[in-house]
Amino acid sequence: MSKPKIGIFGMTGCAGEQIVILNCEDELMDILKVLDIRSFHTAMSKNDEKCNLDIAFVEGALVQPEEEISLKEIRKRSRLLIALGTCAVWGGVAAMKNEVSRQRLKDIVYGSPGRIFKSIPAQPLHSFVKVDFSISGCPIEKEQFLQAVASLVHGDIPVLPKYAVCTECKINENTCLLLEKSELCLGPITVAGCNARCANCGIPCSGCRGPVEEANIASEVEILKEKGFTLGDINNQLRTFAGPAEAIQTHLAKR
Amino acid sequence: MQIVKLPKQNLDKFIKSLSKFGQIYAPIKKDANTSLFSKIEDSSQIDLGYNRTLLPPKKYFLPPIDTMFKFSAEAGYEEMEHDLNEKSILLGVHSCDIHGLRILDLVFSGRYVDNYYFTGRKNTSIIGVSCIPDDMCFCRSMGTDFVENGFDLFLSDIDQSYLVRIATSLGDDMVRASQSLFKEVGKEEIEEHKKKSNEMQKHFKIDLELYNLPEILDLEYESKTWEEIGEKCLSCGSCSMVCPTCYCYDVFDELSLDGKTGERKRRWDSCLFKDYALVAGGTNFRSERSARVKNRYFHKHRGFVAQYGKPSCVGCGRCIQSCPAKINIVEVITKIRSDAYV
Ligand code: SF4
Ligand code: SF4
Ligand code: SF4
Ligand code: SF4
Ligand code: SF4
Repeated sequence: MSKPKIGIFGMTGCAGEQIVILNCEDELMDILKVLDIRSFHTAMSKNDEKCNLDIAFVEGALVQPEEEISLKEIRKRSRLLIALGTCAVWGGVAAMKNEVSRQRLKDIVYGSPGRIFKSIPAQPLHSFVKVDFSISGCPIEKEQFLQAVASLVHGDIPVLPKYAVCTECKINENTCLLLEKSELCLGPITVAGCNARCANCGIPCSGCRGPVEEANIASEVEILKEKGFTLGDINNQLRTFAGPAEAIQTHLAKR
Repeated sequence: MQIVKLPKQNLDKFIKSLSKFGQIYAPIKKDANTSLFSKIEDSSQIDLGYNRTLLPPKKYFLPPIDTMFKFSAEAGYEEMEHDLNEKSILLGVHSCDIHGLRILDLVFSGRYVDNYYFTGRKNTSIIGVSCIPDDMCFCRSMGTDFVENGFDLFLSDIDQSYLVRIATSLGDDMVRASQSLFKEVGKEEIEEHKKKSNEMQKHFKIDLELYNLPEILDLEYESKTWEEIGEKCLSCGSCSMVCPTCYCYDVFDELSLDGKTGERKRRWDSCLFKDYALVAGGTNFRSERSARVKNRYFHKHRGFVAQYGKPSCVGCGRCIQSCPAKINIVEVITKIRSDAYV
């Protein structure tokens, strides 16, 4: 069996996913044994921009019109397209203030130089192209990436846990920050996979991996309101990593 | 059953002598809010007066995630190695949790014996300890506030000492190994023990009525209550993780990068999870959250009763304590019961 030809691409993001891949130091040689990496600008100087790919891993959100063109190019070249990281899957932090106009945001952030480039409200990849599989996380978890590669090489679509961070948090026997300490924890509606990284350290989950399927935002909001948080605080937290997610948009539209 | 007295000042010496019988696991305080069962290196960590541990002792026999076997294209299956001579002692188990383990024993010893579970279980002796119920305990309703079997020793706290019930020959060996630490039970201690037993009953704040419950559940299958709690439930899975009698698990393979070798694993699952009842072809026969919540109650209080003659809930209160949406099994059942009588 010939090695699958793959590309690793970045849209707008912090390159965190690409760094996680490069940080797989002990496994990099094994990865190269099973994948034929044709394009990986962050790590290689010779990249094939045209060849057909079996798998394209794409990081980052879309915030510039040109990115839509390059994403669609990648989609056309590749049999599978996999969204890597919360920006690619949910829009990420770049989408946190999507309700404010781009012009105003550019003025605040860049001042007059902001006038020379175009910017669109940050969106996840699936708003523009078909995404075959998503690995969320800010950044992604190395183990999930490696497991996904192993499954893909084997010809399977990876299976990642779909349950909430609370499940992992309970397994780790952490004192519940939401119930025992009344902290703003998004664990009940955030998809697991990080092994409750933050709650393990006594820090509430800020939802960096994005919502679980069928997230019960209404119930979470009720619980947090009862704990004394304002709707403003809650909404800001909900918007931080996955603002464009349908469940969150539906909640925000309700007010 | 023989009962002897262990003055509390001798407890530490007794625990030290127990290490001859195996590695001790016992409750410790993780922080002000949380107790958990932990491997004990230093007996001063042990807190026998704990309220409830976050996870029940099932975590030792049905670990949250467990490798069942390894496989490879060349070598086929390779069982995980277990040291069958490795003995453990689970010290400080409350009555409800001993019942919880008995329920798991029942389930895993069925037609297809689960040796993954029994390997550790068979090599573990149980030393129970009495407790004082809090406002979430309803073991009395479930008949699990005392135990008659399923332990080697049981310690009942009577302030200055423990009354130690010896239930097995192994328990007897443990006592004999440090005979000088134990005293005969006197009249005074008998009175004290009876007083404590009566006092314990006064601590219960909640009750769950079991009479006719499976039938009432059948009649209330379409009750609106299921929809109402389905609205509140977040499918977070906490209630199943912390439950001493939830035994569902999911089996999956973890492949090595070259795709030639791998490990078959299992991890705790929950009927509250959206994909729990998802089957090939994409059909999900419990895709509604309300149906999933309902399943939790029906499994514990109807399905299990039909199969094993008793509910698979021991009234430990863990699910009440850990539900972010404050869904409370006692309130839910009480509501269903009163709906049935309206
Ligand atoms: S601390 Fe947060 S993640 Fe952990 S159980 Fe509580 S709500 Fe869930
Ligand atoms: S606990 Fe929450 S915020 Fe922390 S890494 Fe996990 S998903 Fe992200
Ligand atoms: S259902 Fe709740 S109270 Fe009953 S055994 Fe499970 S965790 Fe304990
Ligand atoms: S079906 Fe649900 S309630 Fe029953 S053991 Fe499994 S997880 Fe627990
Ligand atoms: S703990 Fe509560 S919210 Fe979480 S799954 Fe169980 S019933 Fe639902």
